[in-house]
Amino acid sequence: MQSLYIRKFLTNKIRWLYVFSGGLVLCTALFALLISSVQVPVSTILHIIMDKTFSMGWLNDIARNEEMIIWNIRLPRVILAFCVGASLALAGAAFQGLLRNPLADPYTIGVSSGAALGAVVVLFFQITIIGFGSFTLPVVSIIGGFAALLVVFGLVRLSSRSLSIETLILAGIIVSAFIGAVVSLIISLSDRDSMTQIIYWLYGSVGMRGWSHIQLILPFMVIGTIILFYHYRELNALALGEDAAENIGVDVRRGKTFILIGASLLTGAAVAVSGSIGFVGLVIPHLVRLVTGPNHRHVLPISMLVGGAFLILADLLSRTIIAPKELPIGVITALIGSPVFALLLIRERIGRRG
Amino acid sequence: MIKLNGLSGGYTQPPTVNGLDLEINKGEFFTLLGPNGSGKTTLFKLITGQLPISEGEVYIDGKNLATLSNIEKAKLMAVLTQENKVAFDYTVEEIVSLGRYPHQKGIFKNLTKKDLAVIEEVMELTNISDFRKTPFRRMSGGEKQRVLLAKALAQEPEILLLDEPTNHLDIKHIFQMLDLLKKRQENFDLTVFAILHDLNIASLYADRIAFLHNGSILEVGDVGILRKEDKLKMVYDVELKSRAHPTLPKPQLIMTPDYSVSRTMDFSKSYRIKQTEEYIHVEFNQHLRTISNGVIGEGIQWLKHFCNFHVSKDYNSSEPKEDLQSWMTKHSIPPEQAVGMMTAVELEDAVFLEEEIEGIPMMAVVTAGTGNAVDITNELNRGVIQTVGTINIFLFINAHFSDGALVNGIISATEAKVKALQDLKIKDIHSNTIATGTSTDAILLGLTQQGEKTPYAGSGTTVGKGIGQIVYRATKKAIKKYLHRVYEGNWRQ
Repeated sequence: MQSLYIRKFLTNKIRWLYVFSGGLVLCTALFALLISSVQVPVSTILHIIMDKTFSMGWLNDIARNEEMIIWNIRLPRVILAFCVGASLALAGAAFQGLLRNPLADPYTIGVSSGAALGAVVVLFFQITIIGFGSFTLPVVSIIGGFAALLVVFGLVRLSSRSLSIETLILAGIIVSAFIGAVVSLIISLSDRDSMTQIIYWLYGSVGMRGWSHIQLILPFMVIGTIILFYHYRELNALALGEDAAENIGVDVRRGKTFILIGASLLTGAAVAVSGSIGFVGLVIPHLVRLVTGPNHRHVLPISMLVGGAFLILADLLSRTIIAPKELPIGVITALIGSPVFALLLIRERIGRRG
Repeated sequence: MIKLNGLSGGYTQPPTVNGLDLEINKGEFFTLLGPNGSGKTTLFKLITGQLPISEGEVYIDGKNLATLSNIEKAKLMAVLTQENKVAFDYTVEEIVSLGRYPHQKGIFKNLTKKDLAVIEEVMELTNISDFRKTPFRRMSGGEKQRVLLAKALAQEPEILLLDEPTNHLDIKHIFQMLDLLKKRQENFDLTVFAILHDLNIASLYADRIAFLHNGSILEVGDVGILRKEDKLKMVYDVELKSRAHPTLPKPQLIMTPDYSVSRTMDFSKSYRIKQTEEYIHVEFNQHLRTISNGVIGEGIQWLKHFCNFHVSKDYNSSEPKEDLQSWMTKHSIPPEQAVGMMTAVELEDAVFLEEEIEGIPMMAVVTAGTGNAVDITNELNRGVIQTVGTINIFLFINAHFSDGALVNGIISATEAKVKALQDLKIKDIHSNTIATGTSTDAILLGLTQQGEKTPYAGSGTTVGKGIGQIVYRATKKAIKKYLHRVYEGNWRQ
C-alpha cells in the first residue's frame, strides 16, 4: 500500500515538474515580450500573437509600430532564445549521459568549435554565398560543425575499435584545441572592425536575428530532439558502463552513434544561429537531475524546457541591465550559472553528509 | 544449453581461448576454474559476443550466437560481473528496471504491468525492496551486488553468466548471494555458468566444474575432480591437498605456502605438566599434530593443551562437552586449542613415562580403571555404562607422521593396551573372558612433526614398536596402581 502511495506521489511530482517548467517557459516568454524600452500592454501582446498565428485580420485597431516591435523583433528573439537554450540544455544532458561525465557539455566533443570556425571564416572574409544573403553565416557555420564532427569520428575510428568514451573525449579536445587555435589566428590577423564583430559573435547573442534563423534551427532541433528522446533508455543503460549495457541487450555502438549525431545536430544548429553560449548545457541538466533524479526519460524533456526558459531570462537581462546597450548573453549565463552551480555543489555535498 | 565447438578468440596470438569444446546442460550450476590469464573472462566475452570469435561456434539454446541480435541474447542470458560502477545517482529500483530493457516494446517503451511485477518479484527475492528509493551509489558492496543480481534476474534469462561476482564480498555476502542463486537455479531450472576464484566455494555450489588451462579445457567433471591434486597443481602451481568437508560430501582444498617456519624444539623441555586432584594438564609450547577421540579436540587437529579431568563415579551429564569447556575456562585453558578427556579414576594414580625408544623421544600419560572392562568380541549387549573405569592414554611422540601414520599409531597403541589388559588378566565380569578395553576408553596421539615424515607407524616399524612398548608399560603400571587402590580399599573395609 505504502509503495503504491509513494509511486503515485512520485508520478504526480514528475507531472507537476512538467507543468512547472512549461509554465516557466510561458511566463519568462511573456515577461520578455513585455519588458523593453517601448511598453506594450499584455493584452495587446497576446492579441498580436494570437492574431498573427491564426491570421484573422483583426489588427486594425493596433498601432503598426507596436505590431512590428512585437511580431518582428521581440517574438522571434524570445523564440530563438528558447530554441537555443532548449537545444543546448538537451544536448548537454545527452552528452553528460553518454560520456558518463557530469562535466561534459555540448562543447566537449568539438562540434561547436567547428561551427564557430565556420562563422568566423564568414565574418573574416566577408563571404556572401549568392542566394543566401545574411543567411550565409549560419549555413557555413552548420557545415563547419558537421565537418568537425566528421573529423572527431574519423580520429576515434582510427584510434579505437569500439568508439570508446575516452577516445571520444580526447578526440573532441584535440579538435577543439586545434580549431580554437585557428580561430585565434584569424582574430589576430583581422582588422579592428571584423575583430570586434568576431569577438561579439563568439560571445553569443540571440538578438537581431528574425524569423529566418528560427526556420534554420527548427528542423535540426526537431530531428535532434526526436533522436535523443527515442534513445533515453540507452542513455540510462549506459550509466552501467558499456559492457553492462551491451549485456542487457543494448546495441551500444548504434546507440552511441545516434546519440552523438542527435546531440551534435542540436549543438551545431544552436551555435550557428547564436554563437557559443556557454554554461546552459552544463548547469541546466545538473539542476534538473537534482530535482527529477537521473532518469533520462524526464531529464531530457525537462532540461529542454528549463534550458529554454533560462536563456529567455538571460537574454532579457542581457538587453535590460545596461540598456540601451546589450551585454553578450554568454556573459549573463556564466554570471548566473557559475554561482548557481557552486551553490548546487555545496548543497549536494552537505546533503550527502547529512 | 550452451555448446562451444572448437571455439577460439581473443586479441593475443595465439588466441587466449584456443579450440575449446564444452557443453553446459540446462539447469546446472557449471563453474569454470583457472588462474588469472587462463582465458576465463575472454571465454565469457566470446559467449556474450563482446569479443569477436575467430574460429568455432557458440550455440545457445540450440541457436548459433552469430545469428542472435543483442535483444535476443539479452532475453536468453544475463551477465553479472564484479564491476559495479554506476554513473549518476540512479535509485535501486531504476537500476533493476534496466533489466527489463530487452522485454520492452512499443514506441514509448514504458514499463508495463508485467515489467513492474517482475521488478517487484526480483527485488523481493534479493531482499532489496526496502532500498528501492536509495541511490545505488550509497549502498555497500554486498547490497550493490544484490541489486545487480536483481537486474540480471529481471531479464528473466535462461542462462546466468557470473564473472567472479563475489570477488570483493565478505563470506557472509558470498554465501548469501550464492545460496540465493542456487535456489533460483533449482526452482526455475536456471542454467548458471560461473567463473569463481575460490576453489572451496566452487566445490560447495557447483554441479560440474571445468579447469581452464592456457585457453583450453584440461578437465571437466563433477566436484570430484577437485580431488585431482596433480591437475590442480598443474593449473595453479600451488601446493594443494584435497580434504573432505566435515559435514558435506564435497572436497575442500587446503593450500600450503612455499615459505615455512622452521620448527625446532627440544622435546623434553617443550612441555609442562600440572597435576592436581581435579585435573592433569600437559601444555606444549608449540602446537602438536593430534589425533584423538577426546570429548573435546576430536579428530585430526593442531593443538597444544591436553587435559584429563577427574569426575565423580556417578557423573552423568548430557552435555559433557560444555562441562569440560567451562572447567577448562576456569583454569585458563583455551578449549579451542585443547584435547579434553574425563575419568573417574583418582588422578594421583596417573602414570607419567618419558622414554627414548630407538632414538625417538616419547612421553605417555595414562590413567586407568577397569571397573567397566569389556571384551569387545563378547556378544552380550549390556548397553553403554557411563560409570567408573576408563583407560585414558596420552602419547606424545617427537616424530613426523602423515595422516595415515596417525591412524597406524592409534592401532599400535590400542594393540599395546589390549596386550596389557591380557597380561594382567583383566576380565569382562559379565562374560568372564579377558577384556580388550573399557567401555569408554579415550586416546590421544600428539606429534611434534619434526624430522623426516613417516608414512607408517604400524607394528612393522620402529616407531610403531616404540609406541607399543611405551603404551604397554604405562598402561600396565596404571592398571596395577588402580588394582592396588581397589584391593587395598577392600582390605581396609
